[in-house]
Amino acid sequence: MSLLRFLLPFLVLTAGVQAAEAPGPSRFYAAVSMTKAQKNSPTPLDSGLYLRAADGQWANFGPRILGVAGLAVSPVNSDVMLLASSDGVVRTPDGGRTWRKVTGWEVADVRSIVFDRHNPSLVYAATAWGPLRSIDGGETWQLAHQGLAKFYCQTILADSAHAGRVLLGTEDGVYVSVNGAALWQRAKFPAVSVLRLAQSAAEPKFILAGTQGRGAWLSHDGGASWNATDPGSASANLYAVAVSPRTAAQLAVGGWGIGVRVSADGGKTWADRSAGLPVRNVFVLAFDPDVKGRLWASTFEEGSYYSDDLGFTWQNGGLYGAYGFDYIFVPPAR
Amino acid sequence: MVLVLVGAMGAMVSRAAIDPISLSDAEIARRYQERCQSVATSSMAAIQAADPTKGSYFDVATCLQRGERREAALARLARLIAPKPTGDMFWMYPMVSVMMAGERGLDDATRARIAELWRTYWPSRGDTENHWVLYYSTLYLAAQSYPGAGPGKWSNGKSSAENMAEARSYLEHWMEVTTSFGQGEYDSPNYIEEYVIGLSLLSGWAHDPAFRHKAHMLLDYVIYDYAVETLDGYYGGAHSRVYPKQIVAPGITPSVALGWLLFGFGERQPNATVQLLTLSGYTPPPILERIARDRDQPYVERELKRTRWRMRNAEAGTFMIGDKRTLPVYKYSYVDSDFILGSTQGGLLQPIQQQTWSLIWRTDLPAAKAANTFFGVQPYSSPLEGTMFFAGDWDTATNIIARSKADYDTPDKLPGGSPYEQVYQHGAALIALYDIPPGTRFPLVTVFFSRDLAQTDEDASGWIFAQGGPAYIAYRPFAHGEWRPSDWTGLLRNGAGGTFISGGFTDWGAGHRCYVSPALRNGYVVQVAAARDFASYEAFKAAVRTLPLKFSTTAAPEATFTSLDGTVIHARYGQTPAINGKLVDFAKWPLFESPFGHALRGSQKLEISYGPERYLLDFEHNASSLTVVPAQP
Repeated sequence: MSLLRFLLPFLVLTAGVQAAEAPGPSRFYAAVSMTKAQKNSPTPLDSGLYLRAADGQWANFGPRILGVAGLAVSPVNSDVMLLASSDGVVRTPDGGRTWRKVTGWEVADVRSIVFDRHNPSLVYAATAWGPLRSIDGGETWQLAHQGLAKFYCQTILADSAHAGRVLLGTEDGVYVSVNGAALWQRAKFPAVSVLRLAQSAAEPKFILAGTQGRGAWLSHDGGASWNATDPGSASANLYAVAVSPRTAAQLAVGGWGIGVRVSADGGKTWADRSAGLPVRNVFVLAFDPDVKGRLWASTFEEGSYYSDDLGFTWQNGGLYGAYGFDYIFVPPAR
Repeated sequence: MVLVLVGAMGAMVSRAAIDPISLSDAEIARRYQERCQSVATSSMAAIQAADPTKGSYFDVATCLQRGERREAALARLARLIAPKPTGDMFWMYPMVSVMMAGERGLDDATRARIAELWRTYWPSRGDTENHWVLYYSTLYLAAQSYPGAGPGKWSNGKSSAENMAEARSYLEHWMEVTTSFGQGEYDSPNYIEEYVIGLSLLSGWAHDPAFRHKAHMLLDYVIYDYAVETLDGYYGGAHSRVYPKQIVAPGITPSVALGWLLFGFGERQPNATVQLLTLSGYTPPPILERIARDRDQPYVERELKRTRWRMRNAEAGTFMIGDKRTLPVYKYSYVDSDFILGSTQGGLLQPIQQQTWSLIWRTDLPAAKAANTFFGVQPYSSPLEGTMFFAGDWDTATNIIARSKADYDTPDKLPGGSPYEQVYQHGAALIALYDIPPGTRFPLVTVFFSRDLAQTDEDASGWIFAQGGPAYIAYRPFAHGEWRPSDWTGLLRNGAGGTFISGGFTDWGAGHRCYVSPALRNGYVVQVAAARDFASYEAFKAAVRTLPLKFSTTAAPEATFTSLDGTVIHARYGQTPAINGKLVDFAKWPLFESPFGHALRGSQKLEISYGPERYLLDFEHNASSLTVVPAQP
C-alpha cells in the first residue's frame, strides 16, 4: 500500500491501467472516430479526443486528426500529454494549448501510448509497425523491436509495480521487457493477437488480457504466465478489458458480438451483462475512478454507456456514432 | 501497310492503319506544347469575372501564372479558401499548386488567408503510398514558401525547416525503395496521377536543384513505366489498384487523360493532373513518346514491383525493406500492336482493388464508351486482407473498407486479389489456377465478358472463343460455370458508393456478362492472338482446338498447355511454373526488362533505350544522361 500511496498524486487512469480512486472529478477523455455517418468516404466525419464536461456533454479536445487511439498524461506534469494517432505521436506541453507532432515519417498508426510512472522520462507506444520508446518524456522516439518475431502490436502497459518493466500485446502473444522496452522476451502466452491489456492498481501482479479469437486471459504473476478465463467468451475477439481500480475482483471484458461480460470474483465466474446496450459490439471498457462501481462501455457506433451496478443496467453516456479506441481518466492536478 | 479488318463486330482498324506521324524531337515537342496551350486556354476560360462560383484551383493557378484574369481568379480563389478545409492531402495539392504556379499573382489578403489555413488546419497524412507522396511533396513545397517560419505557423507544431526535413527524408526514402524494389502501388490507371502530381510539383518548384532534378527523373521513370505498357493511352497489364468503373471501362481512367497530354493519344479529357503538368513546365523526353507509339514488334515487358507494406498476417515469402514487410510482385506483359495481355503471380498483393491479370485491345470506340477488356477475378473479401494492410480491427475492417469501396464485399466484385489465385503467363497465353477452401465467403471464379466482345462462341471442345477488336481470345475453363450479368447483385447499378464509384453506370456498366464458376478447385487457360495473324476467326479457333492441353482439378489444380507459339507452360497450384520444362527463376526477375528498358533489382538505375538512344536515370548518383550510340560502321 505504501507504493500506491506514493503514486496516487501521479495517477493517470486509462482503460489499460486501472488505478485507485483519486480525489475529485477526473478529466474524462474518449479517443474516438466518428464513423457512423461515414458514407462514400474513406475518412470518418471527425476523429480525435473528446472531453466530457460536468453536464455530460462531450466536446472536441486537441487536434482533429485521423486515427486518434489513445492519450498518455505525464505522471509528474499533467499539462504534458501525448496523443497516439495515425500520423504519429503528438505532444502538448501546456495542457492542450499547443500541439506538436514529435515523430517523423517513420512512425505511423500509433495504437497505444503510456508513461512509465516510475520514470516519467520513459514513455512507450505500440504501433501497427512495432513498439516505440522515448527516453525524454516523449519528445523523441526510437523503434524498439529487439527480441520481437513480429512487429505488429496495439496495446502496451507499463507495469505499475516495477520501473522499466513493460508488457506488449503483439500479433504473437504477450512480450515482456524489463529494461524499458530495449529488449523483449516472450511471455508464456498463446501465439495469438493480443488486443488489450489492463493491470490492477490494487494488485499489480494481476493483469487481464483480451485476445483475437481466444478470449480473455489472466495473469497473477505480473504477466509472466497466463491462464484462460471466462469460457463464455473463449473464442471471442475481445477488444476491451478492464479491472476495477478498487479491487482486482471486479473485471470486465467486451468484444464483438459478445457484448459486456463481468466477473465479481476475480475471474472465477463470469456473467453476460449486455442487456440494455443497443448492440453487443464493444470496443472500450473502463471503470470510472470517481464513481464507485461505475463501468463505462463504448459500443460500435451506437454510443457510450455507463452502468453503476456492474452492468445490470446501462445509461446513455453520449458520443453516438463513435468508434471508440480508448477512455482516459486524468485525475485533477495537485 | 494499311490493314483494315471488317467483321461481324463492325469496323476494326489494326494498329498498322494509323497514319504515321513524325517522331522527331522537334515535332514531338511542338505537338506537346500545342496540347499544353490548349489546356491553358480552356483553364483560363473557366474563370469568369461574372461568376466567381465557377473554376477550380487549377483554373485559378493558370490565370495567376499567366497573368490573365487576375482579379477574377483571386475572387474565385477567395471563395475556394473561405471554408474550413477538408480532404487532407487532397486539399493540400490543389492549394500548393496555386501557391506555386500562381505565386506572383497572389495578393496580400490571399497570402494571409493561405498562411492562416496552414496554421489552423491539420491535414492527416493518410494511409496509402499515394497519400504519403501527395502529403510530403506538398508539405515540402508549402514549407519552402515560408522559410524561417517557426512551429507556431504550422498546425502540426513543426517549423518550416522541420517539415521540409521530414518531407524530404520520406520522399528520398520512397524514391530509393521505388527504384530498388519497385513501387508498392504500382501501375495503377487510377493512381498514376497522384504520383505525377507529387513529382511534377517537386520537379517544377522545389528550390533545391538536386532534389528538383531527382523528382524530375522519377517523373520520367513513372511515365516510362506507363509508356512501355500502353496501347493508345490505355494502361495495359496487371494493376495494383483500379476502381470498378475503370476496370470495365479502361478509357475513363486518369492514365488515358495523361496519355493524351503526354503523347497525344485519343481525345482530351477533363483532368486536373493534366492541368497541373502544363503548369509545372514538365516536358517528357521525346524518347518516351517514341516508345509509347512503337508497337511494330510484339515484346515482353517484365517488371518487379512489391506489395503494399504488410503490417500483420504476413505469409511465407515476404521480406523486409528497412522495418517494413513486403512481398515481390512479378509483372509480365505481352505487348502487341493490337493488344496487351499482362499479369502478376496472383495472391494478395494489394488491398481492395488489385487486378491480377487483364487483356486490353485496340478499339475505335470513344474512350468514354469503350469496354475493351477481358479479365478474371476470384472475388475474395476478408478481414484477413483488411487487417494485413490497415491498422483496423478484425470485426470492422470489411465494414469500414466498404464505406468508400462499396464493391469490396460483394460476390460480383470485379477488382480484387485473392490468396487462392495463382497465374502463370508466357507470351500471349496464361494459366490461372484456383484452390479455394470450403467456407470461403465468395467461393467463385469470375471471368468478365465485355459487351464489346463479338462472336462469343461456346465451342463443343470446351473452349469459349470471342473477338475483342483486332484480338482473338480463347478461354478454356476447367470447371463448369454459368453466365450471369455483371453486377448481378445490382449494387453498382443502384448507385452504391456514390458518383465516384458507380456514377454513370448505364454508360459503362450495362450490357456486360460474366462466366461464373462455383468449383473450388478451378482454373482456366487464356490464349490471345492478333487477328491479323490468322486468315479468319475460324482459322484461329481451329488452331486453338489442336493445342495440347492437360489439366486436373482433383487434387491441387494443375495444367500443362502448349500455346500457339509452341511454348509449353506447366503450372501446378502452389509450385513454381515451368516454361518448356525449365522452372521460372523468380530470383532473377528484373526491375525492368524489355526492348525499351533495363533495370536490375536494387540498382536505383533505369536505362531507357530506343534505337541508338540511351537515356540513363541514375538515382544513386542523382544523374541522368541522354546519349545516342553511333551506328556501327
